[in-house]
Amino acid sequence: MIMTKNTCLLLIMITLFGCRKEDDYECNPTPFNPTPYTIATPPGFPDMIIPEDNPMTVEGIMLGEKLFNDNILSGDETVSCASCHIKTAGFSDTNQFSIGINGLAGDRNASTIINAGWNNQFNWDGSARNLEEQAFEPIRNPIEMNNTWENVEMKLNTHAEYPTLFKNAFNIDYIDSIHIVKAIAQFERTLISVNSRYDQYLRGEIQLTPSELNGFAIFNSEKGDCFHCHGTQMFTDNLFHNNGLDTEPFNDWGLGNITNNPLDNAKFKSPTLRNIEFSKPYMHDGRFNSLEEVVEHYNSGGNFSSTVDPLMKKLGVGLQLTNEEKQDLIAFLKTLSDPDFLDK
Amino acid sequence: MKRKYLIILLVIILISCKKEKGCTDPTAINYNSQAEENNGSCKYNLEINFTHTVNNSPLELNQMIYTNAAGEDYSVQTLKYLISNITLKGPSINDSIIYNVHFVNIIDSSTFIINIPNLPNKTYTGISFTMGLDSLNNQTELFINESFFPSFAWPDFLGGGYHYMQLEGDFITPFQGYATHTGPTNGNNYSFLVETNFEENILENNRIIINMEINNWYAPNIINFTINGIMDDELTQNQLRNNGNNVFSISLE
Repeated sequence: MIMTKNTCLLLIMITLFGCRKEDDYECNPTPFNPTPYTIATPPGFPDMIIPEDNPMTVEGIMLGEKLFNDNILSGDETVSCASCHIKTAGFSDTNQFSIGINGLAGDRNASTIINAGWNNQFNWDGSARNLEEQAFEPIRNPIEMNNTWENVEMKLNTHAEYPTLFKNAFNIDYIDSIHIVKAIAQFERTLISVNSRYDQYLRGEIQLTPSELNGFAIFNSEKGDCFHCHGTQMFTDNLFHNNGLDTEPFNDWGLGNITNNPLDNAKFKSPTLRNIEFSKPYMHDGRFNSLEEVVEHYNSGGNFSSTVDPLMKKLGVGLQLTNEEKQDLIAFLKTLSDPDFLDK
Repeated sequence: MKRKYLIILLVIILISCKKEKGCTDPTAINYNSQAEENNGSCKYNLEINFTHTVNNSPLELNQMIYTNAAGEDYSVQTLKYLISNITLKGPSINDSIIYNVHFVNIIDSSTFIINIPNLPNKTYTGISFTMGLDSLNNQTELFINESFFPSFAWPDFLGGGYHYMQLEGDFITPFQGYATHTGPTNGNNYSFLVETNFEENILENNRIIINMEINNWYAPNIINFTINGIMDDELTQNQLRNNGNNVFSISLE
């Protein structure tokens, strides 16, 4: 069919107007409509901190989980986030110091990311303020993933699957670092552990043993005084403390490195104690291999230093728990294990 | 016809000459410079400031320069506390709570100020508040989304709810800590009311100053820092509550 000049112009006009922005829905056969994902707030927890610009979606979480477990993020494609945040180890690392690419070791044990969606400061030294920010750092850290964001973006944009997955999760045509960390953060916010024997006990579903109950009482008493740093259902105060591990000079300044305030030297973030049974070794430098060693540290009083926390009230003296009380305390700590969570 | 027009004109003139009513007080937030007659609509902002002293001098953190009534030298590293039920009083008003719960953290100066907006034009001659949380308010689930959760939570084993105050530092040596933590030990209510009345209207001033004189927590009932771990100690909590009667002073500025 031969169109007249006018007919042709008319058709062009119709096409142009038909594809105006406001009519994009009609021109786009697959509108962006991700599936919202709602996190139910567990009893005793506050509302989760979810940035307004990174709402949870099923597509975003699934993408984040794939990225979290994918070696593609590291420079030589040998390690992933999951290499140091091991699910069966409470998303912590069984190595004292986490091993990056080329077998290089850091100087800290990888922080757990259980219930991290309720944290407002991340890493042992508080160097990140949200999960998105936290995810930026390991990829370019020379002793962790030793990669560049330019390289990560290039690999993902030329990957067989990721462009479609990012399109579905964020409706973007070019994968950038911002959306990579957003996806990882979404997945990390789903790592929620609230079905331990302790939780079941609080819900009235089971009874704890006399030993566990006595440990529970010690934990929450001034005698044990665990609760100040590891209180509430979150089992952390989300704050930083020097718990008397070392005398001065300190090898690791912790929070002090971030704030440049000497009064913060050797202060580290209180980790959650949920699944603590499986997240050994313990402390920021993984110096303790067992819960017995941890309890003994507090029981023997710890070390004097200028920044040691006033809450270490029995410094040099210790808690003076009996062997039975120490065993009870450890028995209680093990009630915080959540096998369903670790196996999922 | 002429008479009719004259009447209409008169009405227009009368209407246009009617005095504009509004708030005529230049210190009010809704001051109307066009208003010629005050209609009682004036609203005022009130600022409450929290200050902290030791022996009447501004608190200096992390300095071992203070001495309590027991003769122990001490420093202050941490000072966090809850003020609740801030209430204005006056001869012609029912007591009205103007602020429910406020958290003061000595390392965050933004917590030293409360702004109360849109107070109606009335005569306020008194203010009161509760140091801590009374039994009605001291329920864990009530403040679970506030900034002082989880660090201010008070274990259920010790009564449940929240600390009223965490005052911490070193004493005698820089290596020895104290922790003056007040709260609802064993479910008892150790919060207390602080109240001050004035002869003038509070609104005639720019702000209310609430000062905590820290050393007064430790006298006249002598609190010794070597008594540590006081969250399960009803006697010490009671002594601190009684000492608290001399801790706060309220003034206008």
